[in-house]
Amino acid sequence: MAISLQKGGNISLSKTTPNLKNVLIGLGWDARSTSGDDFDLDASVFMVGSNGKVRSDSDFVFYNQLRSTCGSVEHTGDNRTGDGDGDDESVKVALDKVPSAIERLVVAVTIHDAQSRNQNFGMVRGAYIRLVNIDTNDEIVRFDLTEDASVETAMIFGEVYRYNTEWKFRAVGQGYAGGLHALATAHGINVQ
Amino acid sequence: MAISLQKGGNISLSKSAPGMKKMIVGLGWDVRSTDGDGFDLDASAFLLNNTGKVQNDAGFIFYNQAKSADGSVQHTGDNRTGDGEGDDESIVIELDKVPAEIEKISVCVTIHEAEARRQNFGMVSSAYVRCVNAEGNAEVARFDLSEDASVETAMIFGEIYRHNGEWKFKAIGQGFAGGLGPLAKNFGVNV
Repeated sequence: MAISLQKGGNISLSKTTPNLKNVLIGLGWDARSTSGDDFDLDASVFMVGSNGKVRSDSDFVFYNQLRSTCGSVEHTGDNRTGDGDGDDESVKVALDKVPSAIERLVVAVTIHDAQSRNQNFGMVRGAYIRLVNIDTNDEIVRFDLTEDASVETAMIFGEVYRYNTEWKFRAVGQGYAGGLHALATAHGINVQ
Repeated sequence: MAISLQKGGNISLSKSAPGMKKMIVGLGWDVRSTDGDGFDLDASAFLLNNTGKVQNDAGFIFYNQAKSADGSVQHTGDNRTGDGEGDDESIVIELDKVPAEIEKISVCVTIHEAEARRQNFGMVSSAYVRCVNAEGNAEVARFDLSEDASVETAMIFGEIYRHNGEWKFKAIGQGFAGGLGPLAKNFGVNV
């Protein structure tokens, strides 16, 4: 059975799912039922080293760069409304192909055009992150973002990280009011 | 090299660090990079008698009462953000000056205003607590708070206690979700 994490909590993926190789990180949210511009949430992954920064811009996987150079992290495509059942966006990770210099995969979600549409996470319902074992289709862990993150427009939903010889997952749920720009800069991306 | 203790494990300080007079309990964490209230972790120590309680409120050493009456236990000052390298807060314990009626010193870490700020140790990056021999700086024990106490807001790191004429240290690593209030009451401090 899937484990539900509280904000700040962590689990060992290596212990709960021995021999886990391919993970799907699924992100979901509810489509807007009220009037106005749709909520367009975008998933992205920062592959960072022990200093918490990317090695280069190619370690940032998002809708405009769907695959890392090493091929271990792959974004499956942009969903612009949250429409439909199940995960709205997802990222596939081949854990055993992640370069050893990468310590953490920071999974973030940003609201597209948040500023011009005057939107933030406090307006979005049903937002969650979950990890699924691709080889068995079993859900391993889930984190519901129940807390109102009202002012933020970019949030770190969770992180997959190395700890000793294991892979672990932590529910983070912390964000930046400055959106994708603030998020990317914090992880060492050069933003023009 | 530091002896890595499992929760519940204990070592004899008198044997592993013979002649150790001064032990430092160091607490460290990283400054928050995300938005929101800063993480303010506080170290504290409870000087306990053979009933497991403080003799009076003077036996509770924390940021507002930085030194025990006899001077054997001293908090070196409050850091409110985790800024700077190395340990962000520390408590210095002079073992040979601890009054004979004190059987045990419980060292704890709490998150300031954790409930109002909706914070826990798992949200803080690189949070740890450790024991160091002040002479030579050898590490005696360490817990990674972000990993081992992720959803807690107050943790008993460990206890330094007398056992057959020796000082020993036991790694506790157990916490209270309610923070400093229930922790202090547990040791007989009037909150």
